[in-house]
Amino acid sequence: MIHYIYDGSFDGLLTAIYEAYYRREELDDIVPIDSMEENFLIQRIYIDTDTEKSKKVYEAIENKISKEALRRITYAYLSELPRHGIDILKYVQLGFKIGPQVDLNLSNDIVLKIDNIRYKVTMEQHRLLGLVRFRELKNGIFYASLEPDFNIVVLLAPHFAARLANENWVIHDVKRGIGVFYNKEEWIVKDIQIYDSLIVKEEEEEYQELWQTYFKSIAIESKVNPVLQRRYMPARYWKHLIEK
Amino acid sequence: MMDVMNKLKILSDAAKYDVSCSSSGSNRKNTNKGLGNASVSGICHSWSDDGRCISLLKILMTNYCIYDCDYCVNRSSNDLPRATFTPEEIIDLTINFYKRNYIEGLFLSSAVFKSPNHTMELLLKVVQTLREKENFNGYIHIKGIPGADKEIIDKVGMYVDRISINIELPSEEGLKLLAPQKNKDSILKPMGQIKSGIIQSIDDRKKFRFSPKFVPAGQTTQLIVGATGDNDLKILRLSEGLYNSYDLKRVYYSAFIPVSTSPNLPVLKSPPLVRENRLYQADWLLRFYGFSANELLNEDKPDFDLALDPKCDWAIQNISLFPVEINKADYHTLIRVPGIGVKSAYKIIQARRFRSIDFMDLKKLGIVLKRAQYFITCNGKHYGIKSMDSEKIRKTLVYGNQINSGHEQLSLFDKVSIEDRFIQIGGQI
Repeated sequence: MIHYIYDGSFDGLLTAIYEAYYRREELDDIVPIDSMEENFLIQRIYIDTDTEKSKKVYEAIENKISKEALRRITYAYLSELPRHGIDILKYVQLGFKIGPQVDLNLSNDIVLKIDNIRYKVTMEQHRLLGLVRFRELKNGIFYASLEPDFNIVVLLAPHFAARLANENWVIHDVKRGIGVFYNKEEWIVKDIQIYDSLIVKEEEEEYQELWQTYFKSIAIESKVNPVLQRRYMPARYWKHLIEK
Repeated sequence: MMDVMNKLKILSDAAKYDVSCSSSGSNRKNTNKGLGNASVSGICHSWSDDGRCISLLKILMTNYCIYDCDYCVNRSSNDLPRATFTPEEIIDLTINFYKRNYIEGLFLSSAVFKSPNHTMELLLKVVQTLREKENFNGYIHIKGIPGADKEIIDKVGMYVDRISINIELPSEEGLKLLAPQKNKDSILKPMGQIKSGIIQSIDDRKKFRFSPKFVPAGQTTQLIVGATGDNDLKILRLSEGLYNSYDLKRVYYSAFIPVSTSPNLPVLKSPPLVRENRLYQADWLLRFYGFSANELLNEDKPDFDLALDPKCDWAIQNISLFPVEINKADYHTLIRVPGIGVKSAYKIIQARRFRSIDFMDLKKLGIVLKRAQYFITCNGKHYGIKSMDSEKIRKTLVYGNQINSGHEQLSLFDKVSIEDRFIQIGGQI
């Protein structure tokens, strides 16, 4: 069983795909270095990220398959689901065979799997566009923390850059220790240190209380339905909300 | 002076019976580094304890009302705390909630204070300030006050994304009985005017690209279900007319919640939620599945079967049209199969271009066969049913596979109705 091990970056993954083609090896999986499993049978091959190789793969996917395929591969990568590396490789191989029509072939297991992953990641992205909660800090920065299932802060950034164009804000993925920073001009993703205590602006708590009040009084008592509420807004997201 | 917290409590409590929560249909951009934009698909920001989506800050400007409509919690004769927001308070709440990503925008409604025109003028002041002074580009939904002049509504329409004027009572008799100070004309006339305004604005924008948008997300209305004796057929025909003649984006249905003990109102143990859900499902069938009201109901059967969703109900009444062959049927036929929605139909059509598909493939595509299995064939094969006997199919759908003692039947039936309450509106019907 051969596992390619890459540095965890998207370029690293694409380099591994390049190598898989070039070396014609029968792979069992492509795994980021920080989620390697202990298994005696696995033969590990470490792949050095090479941006020239990754660029070639990137462009080949875009031109020979489709922009949509590239988007799906990105989403599968951000999903961090088990075996997403090998799934992406198989999907790319199939894509080169079939061409731009690949995604229509939903009766193919790998196409279907990639489609399901795309759906799950898009769902969480959309959900979090609504569930992100900013707190205004003393220094005027709007700060939000969250712990998404998938690595999606990068997918949230363009939305908030357009919407809160004239504010400084940070969206902090506590689980992965990364964050998006926006400075009224552009956004970047960086590693982020855990803040010991964030000092919020004086009126911040007032608005939080107003929001909690609103949240309570907008519900109709005779229609209370916690099952439905949890289905739409799973409890794992509540920790970072203000109203729950 | 009452503080903002108390006002918010009173005036959101007073607004909560309006079921509309949508923030979709507008693609307003953020210009000049202002605050906010609109998302075409709409975004839910939270879900309240009743499981409804919270998308907009939904409040009344005031709940002081000159009208005394029996069905309404804000009627003038009702003894409850009253409050009025100043425009500044509404603007401050909207902006600060928006910056914290609590909301997608503002849904501002009001009781009728002094007069319809006076109320509408105050609402206009709020939206004008938000747009022009605060450079706020988030979503705004405004309630049109029946009886307000066209000129004011026209001005409001230039600033907002959506206007709704609530019909509430689905018949003239209902209005006369429960809301004698309103009449059909004062509701339908402004709806007609808004429709013309929208058409005019779309025409203008074809000629002059930068002419302003008028109510880009269109208009909606709300009907109360169960406060009057009107049957489902009457309600659904009204909705159909509103979609066809007034170009409405949505009709919302609100199960009547007894808020007063007026002798004109029916006595209900609990709000008719299952009926409300059936109407939403039927509404979906009108808008996205090509059904007409007369196909779903008729004078002999003017109400929906509470134990079955309207599409299953229809399919069983028209069992001769089934089974449908999954590998051959066109899109319009597929979406009429119970359990197959718009998305599933697209998936089937895509997948079968590569090879013919069977029941396993359907399952892999994520198509739920629970209901569909009785109405389809794959390559001529049925899925474990022996006959197309409509009575048998109906029983299986309602009671499950085993029909045992009367006692269990009853509990199974209860299970169906409770489950139905949770059916996701807009899902695969």
